[in-house]
Amino acid sequence: MFTLPQEESRAPAPCPSPASTQDLDSNYGDGLERERSRKPDWKLPELCDSTTMLSPDSSYLSSRGRVIKWFWDSAEEGYRTYHMDEYDEDKNPSGIINLGTSENKLCFDLLSRRLSQSDMLRVEPSLLQYPDWRGHPFLREEVARFLSFYCKSPAPLKPENVVVLNGCASLFSALATVLCEVGEAFLIPAPYYGAITQHVYLYGNVRLVCVYLDSEVTGLDTRPFQLTVEKLETALQRANSEGVKVKGLILINPHNPLGDIYSPGELRDYLEFAKRHELHVMVDEVYMLSVFEKSAAYRSVLSLEGLPDPQRTHVMWATSKDFGMSGLRFGTLYTENRDVATAVASLCRYHGLSGLVQYQMAQLLRDRDWINQVYLPENHARLKAAHSYVAGELRALGIPFLSRGAGFFIWVDLRKFLPEATFKEETLLWRRFLDNKVLLSCGKTFECKEPGWFRLVFSDKAHRLCLGKREEQHVKERTCPRNKQE
Amino acid sequence: MSHRSDTVHLPCGQMRGQGLGNQGTHTQPVEVMLHVKGTLEKHMVQLVAMRQQQDLVPEEQRRHQATGEQEALLDSLMYQLVNLLQSGAAGGLGLQPSCPSLDVRGVVGGGQRAQSSRWPDQPVHQRNDPEATFVSQHLSNRGIDISALFQASFQDYKLYQGDKYDEDKNTLGFINLGISENKLCLDLMTERLSQSDMNVIEDVLLQYPDWSGQPFLREEVARFLTYYCKAPARLDPENVVVLNGCCSVFSTLAMVLCDPGEAFLTPTPFYGGFAFSSHLYSKVELILVHLDSESTAAHPRLFQLTVDKLEQALLEATLTGKKVRGLILINPQNPLGDVYSRDSLKEYLEFAKRYSLHVIIDEIYMLSVFDESITFHSILSMESLPDPNRTHVIWGTSKDFGISGFRFGVLYTQNKKVASAVSSFGYLHGVSGIAQYKLYRLLRDREWIDRVYLPTYRSRLQRAHRYITKKLKALGISFLNRGSGLYVWINLKACLLRLWLSSVLRPSLLHRRFLDNKLILSRGKTYMCKEPGWFRVVFADKPLRLKQAMHRFYQVLETQKLELRVKQPESAQCE
Repeated sequence: MFTLPQEESRAPAPCPSPASTQDLDSNYGDGLERERSRKPDWKLPELCDSTTMLSPDSSYLSSRGRVIKWFWDSAEEGYRTYHMDEYDEDKNPSGIINLGTSENKLCFDLLSRRLSQSDMLRVEPSLLQYPDWRGHPFLREEVARFLSFYCKSPAPLKPENVVVLNGCASLFSALATVLCEVGEAFLIPAPYYGAITQHVYLYGNVRLVCVYLDSEVTGLDTRPFQLTVEKLETALQRANSEGVKVKGLILINPHNPLGDIYSPGELRDYLEFAKRHELHVMVDEVYMLSVFEKSAAYRSVLSLEGLPDPQRTHVMWATSKDFGMSGLRFGTLYTENRDVATAVASLCRYHGLSGLVQYQMAQLLRDRDWINQVYLPENHARLKAAHSYVAGELRALGIPFLSRGAGFFIWVDLRKFLPEATFKEETLLWRRFLDNKVLLSCGKTFECKEPGWFRLVFSDKAHRLCLGKREEQHVKERTCPRNKQE
Repeated sequence: MSHRSDTVHLPCGQMRGQGLGNQGTHTQPVEVMLHVKGTLEKHMVQLVAMRQQQDLVPEEQRRHQATGEQEALLDSLMYQLVNLLQSGAAGGLGLQPSCPSLDVRGVVGGGQRAQSSRWPDQPVHQRNDPEATFVSQHLSNRGIDISALFQASFQDYKLYQGDKYDEDKNTLGFINLGISENKLCLDLMTERLSQSDMNVIEDVLLQYPDWSGQPFLREEVARFLTYYCKAPARLDPENVVVLNGCCSVFSTLAMVLCDPGEAFLTPTPFYGGFAFSSHLYSKVELILVHLDSESTAAHPRLFQLTVDKLEQALLEATLTGKKVRGLILINPQNPLGDVYSRDSLKEYLEFAKRYSLHVIIDEIYMLSVFDESITFHSILSMESLPDPNRTHVIWGTSKDFGISGFRFGVLYTQNKKVASAVSSFGYLHGVSGIAQYKLYRLLRDREWIDRVYLPTYRSRLQRAHRYITKKLKALGISFLNRGSGLYVWINLKACLLRLWLSSVLRPSLLHRRFLDNKLILSRGKTYMCKEPGWFRVVFADKPLRLKQAMHRFYQVLETQKLELRVKQPESAQCE
């Protein structure tokens, strides 16, 4: 297991981030030692000695403030290193290339053209004043229409079931807060998009119970890291036996980082499982329009006829990924449960989105012609091309990977480059990439239980990818011999 | 005397205790009525006695207390009564459903549907509704708390959102003088924001940002604050964190400065939004430092904050085992409109330093000082702060620029640890890159701000203030005349007394009468004001609307007078 060296508490990586919160509660509030031993599975190792964390110069902060800050400092290191030395083909050609952050940089030209059109520039007094905290009605109507169409819902979706916030992170935070008490938990199949750990923890103090998936295909599985109801049951039982109260299940579909797409049958199985145990299901469909392989046949949960437990099914979507606008901070919740919608909306005062931007989003989402005829075809073609390129390179290097035609990333198996199957070695490899100016995300970030998996984001301009590959190759060339020596 | 915030801003536990405790739907309505009648009689006797003996000071406090207790009882009785009426058990009694729906406890649990159009027809109490049970099934307890608190705090707001006054389209809609929103310069802002320099789309604006705010915006904010706060040295962009609104800034500060159950000192009356924020996510308590609504020889100024009061409140809190982590100040003050002198500020800061308290100072109205004889001193203008690492300044564009829909708030703190801890919430309180760019353009346009915007804004504020104060004077209503902010703090105690005598029960009833006349004002209770009868009236609205609003205001008071046939008592001007 990866352990943070004490003297280095600021140093290591985005790697330790998600796991670390799992144990954060042990340093939370007054009970520093209280819960540490209780949940053997939820640790990031010895977070680091509390004396380091509670060093006197931090005395300005509360204990939870210290935990939050420590967590932040360690989690964001790679990201910040990148920001200090960003690659730019003209200004900083030797800078860091970011293949770690899941952003779609392929269609900026299309987007900037669309967002600069005159219909986007409208300024109205009502947009400058305090809004309806659920989101401006015109936007919620547009979102409902948009989702009805693209999720292929059997009946039109209702604007009153829509809540608009500044991104899915806020949505996770708000849902965790209104669905769980402090210390309760959500189930989540791992590997998963690690930032969720932080989102549900920061305000909500809710943790995640991992349903660990294997790369090895065993039993009835048909693919690596396959989620089955059996695995969900086992994880839930174990959590229960450890006294952890599980209130919900988080599904990411299309999956980040695996790129998996759940079939309607699988989806239904998971939803039935949740219903049996009265669990809420939060389905994060933020990559729903980023399925670039036509054969992949993606189905939104909103397309299912007769949801098993509609009152406990909450769908999230945002423009960050599908429209390549992570900086725009627009996310939306769709839930038939009015109480949940109201409770989430009660927190929207803290997660609001500028009225002018709400207006722009409504304009964007209603422009079906542009989306269908210009944006989506082009975006998918570019994603596919970038994907083929990177996949080809990986094949040429003999590196195994998973990818199923959705999302911006490939889940790469670099296990054979680790001298030992430890997370420490994984971090060292991650670091070596960073030293060679390539930022990747390592499996630990996604709470993958096997060291050596990396997520490689391919949705960047071609020349950056080329450079990225080259650096990657350097790293590998240097790593491989060492591997052989040992 | 200090009270914890929750005695005023009831968190759910208490609401349930009081509300649900009386699930007396099986009690015969008649019994309740009789009880109400009895209590009312006693109450009136008490009030009459009180009025007769108003000069006997020692008596007064005790009587106030007794009256308060009676009111509480009456509340709960009335509440039951309303429940009964609504459950249909009292079908033919012909009583009007009354005030409690405006009270926090009227909306516990299933109250979320309690107000859509005209609320008097809406069910107040849905405990027998199957939906109400539903809530507890699906939401966590804190989720229910949050919903209930929100519903309670934003009821009027929601009414208003659904039925806004418009001089052309909806002349019967609500005029909102309750919410502190600056609507005086929407024309200027709309024009400025429509200019072409605002519409730049760059890739950095669409990508994940620096979570403490885009560097270009933080630099501009630092320059802006250096200039308008008259900082002795240039402020450092590294000390700036940008989030989506001041409530978010406050909420994150409460998270990283306090552990659950710890507290901030807050002089009241005080902007209620912070109580909401601190309760909602961070579970931080507010220790209220109640200021006096009457002047004394030592402190001729009403609601004067003194270090003595701070000391006393801190001592009392400490004695009860509370851990106080900080002091919250609003300058210019909301709802009083007070502007602290440099010396007072210094004293408060020194006090905080003595006890190692953080000071969160909200200067969101700093450019809204319209009385030219008043000088506003930002804390950032001080040569040396007593305890810079524990001094955190909040500012935003919502009030001074009248763009509350923009969702933009700023923290300025020299404490790098606090800045960094607050930044870790950037994910959850991020501002759209596009909006950040527009703000950057706005804040850097010093020429427009200084030559066009601020002069116009201030002269319109002055005019609106002059208008409203003239009207208030004509009506014989006392108010604080302070010269900053978007509101006046008025005293309707006299009206309340008359209402009480007419056997009407609560200060909220007056508020309700205003609502019936489509006028929203905010009650002193929202500001945790100890003494009932104070209201905050926002005047930063268009002249025509303000006129209409004052007309409605006048009507309510007139109707009241007619009903009661009570001669209007001579009213004393506060200042």
